[in-house]
Amino acid sequence: MTKFVIRRVIQAVPVLLGITIVVYAILLSAPGGPIAKYAQNPRITESQRNEIIKAWGLDQPIPVQYCRWMGFCDKEQDGLALVQANGVPNVFPAALGGGTNGVLHGDFGHSLETGDSVAGRIGKAALPTAILAGLALLIWVSLSVLIGTLAAIKRYTFFDNLTTVFSYVGFAMPTFWLGIMLIYAFSGPGLDILPASGMTTIRSSPAFGSDKYWDFLFNNPLKALGDLGWHLVLPVFTLVVVNIAGDSRFVRASMIESLSQDYVRTARAKGLPGRSVTFKHAFRNAMLPFVTNVGLEIPFLFTGAIVTETIFSWPGIGRLTIDATRDYDYPMLMGVLLVTSVLVVLANLIADVAYAVVDPRIKL
Amino acid sequence: MERIHTTLPESVQVADAVQAPAAADESGTVVDYEVGLVSLNQWQLAWRKFKKHRLALIGLGMLAVLILAAVVGPILAPYDFYTIPKPDQFVTIGRPPSLAHPFGETARLQRDVLELVVNGARTSLFIGFSSMFIGVFIGTVVGAISGFMGGFIDNLLMRIVDVMLSLPLLFIILVASRFFANGSVVLIIVIFGLFSWMGISRLVRSLFLSIREREFVEAARAVGVTDQRIIFRHILPNAISPIVVAASLLIAGNIITEAFVSFLGFGVNPINPTWGNILTSAQEFLNQGNWWWPFFPGLVIILTVLAVNFVGDGLRDALDPKTRA
Repeated sequence: MTKFVIRRVIQAVPVLLGITIVVYAILLSAPGGPIAKYAQNPRITESQRNEIIKAWGLDQPIPVQYCRWMGFCDKEQDGLALVQANGVPNVFPAALGGGTNGVLHGDFGHSLETGDSVAGRIGKAALPTAILAGLALLIWVSLSVLIGTLAAIKRYTFFDNLTTVFSYVGFAMPTFWLGIMLIYAFSGPGLDILPASGMTTIRSSPAFGSDKYWDFLFNNPLKALGDLGWHLVLPVFTLVVVNIAGDSRFVRASMIESLSQDYVRTARAKGLPGRSVTFKHAFRNAMLPFVTNVGLEIPFLFTGAIVTETIFSWPGIGRLTIDATRDYDYPMLMGVLLVTSVLVVLANLIADVAYAVVDPRIKL
Repeated sequence: MERIHTTLPESVQVADAVQAPAAADESGTVVDYEVGLVSLNQWQLAWRKFKKHRLALIGLGMLAVLILAAVVGPILAPYDFYTIPKPDQFVTIGRPPSLAHPFGETARLQRDVLELVVNGARTSLFIGFSSMFIGVFIGTVVGAISGFMGGFIDNLLMRIVDVMLSLPLLFIILVASRFFANGSVVLIIVIFGLFSWMGISRLVRSLFLSIREREFVEAARAVGVTDQRIIFRHILPNAISPIVVAASLLIAGNIITEAFVSFLGFGVNPINPTWGNILTSAQEFLNQGNWWWPFFPGLVIILTVLAVNFVGDGLRDALDPKTRA
């Protein structure tokens, strides 16, 4: 087991390195580069632009820029300086005398738009996204298991056909359209009962994430959580409807396969009660592939709600990405893309390991 | 005929594996000419099976109507997309569906929503289909090289696929569209194609790996057939069915992604209307009750994706030898 985990981790390293190169290459090849924002600005003179280019290290060759961004190279020295002035390799953690620059040291740079630290902004935006997507994931995974299993047991009945129709439509529905229609239905001119945007009611509560908010949450936990829950209804519903379609079909297919296995027939032939066969023999085995599937959906906690966050003005990672894309905010985009890619790799790893844990037949 | 109740793309394969083996090689091709009937080729057989799939036929009909609307719609429509109508008032929230404007009129410029939808169909369908072709082409080439050559090249290509699949593709497509496309339809198609070939390449590789070991390929090699001919005449035709099915799913995905990217304003320039960019500012007018503006284009997207998925299911049943009953 330990050997398997170690092998998978080692395999993940070249993939991670590849990801940093791809992310870097995509933004590097964008026309204009980070300096393009200032090219049109009449208040910034030619010499000031050159100052910026020099200060950001954009005058260095590309490998050096990449190397510094990653944190392999010391940015105080010219060229590919892998070793610092004090003789310690720059990659080493700062505590051991290594460098402090680059993503390997947790330094993603600063936003070109606001000047905030990228890592700080991502950290701040991660919580709202985790709340929204986490709750949605929990609900849709449990509902998928329930609906998918029921549909498989009652195959070709009215219930099964109904879920088939719903999942076809749910699968075809663009998230942004569902969100807009829900806003119209429950927050529009007719029926205005649910909040359509944000995480808190502006008039009665401080903005989420501010120091005041934590005081508010501490003093009036019921009121604060109730307000948050109220704001969660529509976005969570949107995510659940769109994602339940695929997952419930997955569970159904897996359950149907499991129900037709020989060991299920044997169990029935032995005279075991139907319920016990269905749930102890068939259901448990049907859940095996679904575990992997859910594992692969974990990065969604971070990335998947991008559309929903936009529609419902949810201050999470999705909104952060869209704002950064609109503003050509290079350091922010590189940070977001890199962090989310790393999460995908981690989730793949967790899914593999989880599958090996729940299914002892998998050779490690 | 119980297979009418097919399921969504990924899920079916799991279920099919169980039902299939019993009737796998009973397709009846051999019997045909022994009795003296006209023998049917692979595609005629597939069409015969496809016709029995009711939903797939409905889907095909829907797609035909949509494509027809996209081609002749803008010509027949009473309103021209490039002439902006004169609004009733300076600030307008549009008008609800009426006989003259069955899908209503938008806020602001007070455009006919049906006209927008019909004009948008051209670009949206065009992007959906052509980016699929790019994705399938790259995927097939990479998968074929990988599966046929094996060894170091296979390993290298598959690691590249791993890296590409680990990227948050929605983010990347969004960023790439914003940074490179500048609203150009062609560049959007290229970007979508460049980020959607990985699934196909894995599929094609696995097909090549298994077909490469079959007896007829061995026989071909034994009589000295060149590699090139083995790939194009012996292996590829046998791999084509799963590729067609996977391709149909790519179309649906690309249409939805394009709508979303353009809706955010990072996609196609509004000069070329698509189902996404005609909705860009629709959300602002929801509070004034303008539901028809976002509603109808979204409905058309749903119908299109449904149609494509139905056809995909029909193709899978008709082409996939595992499910041939």
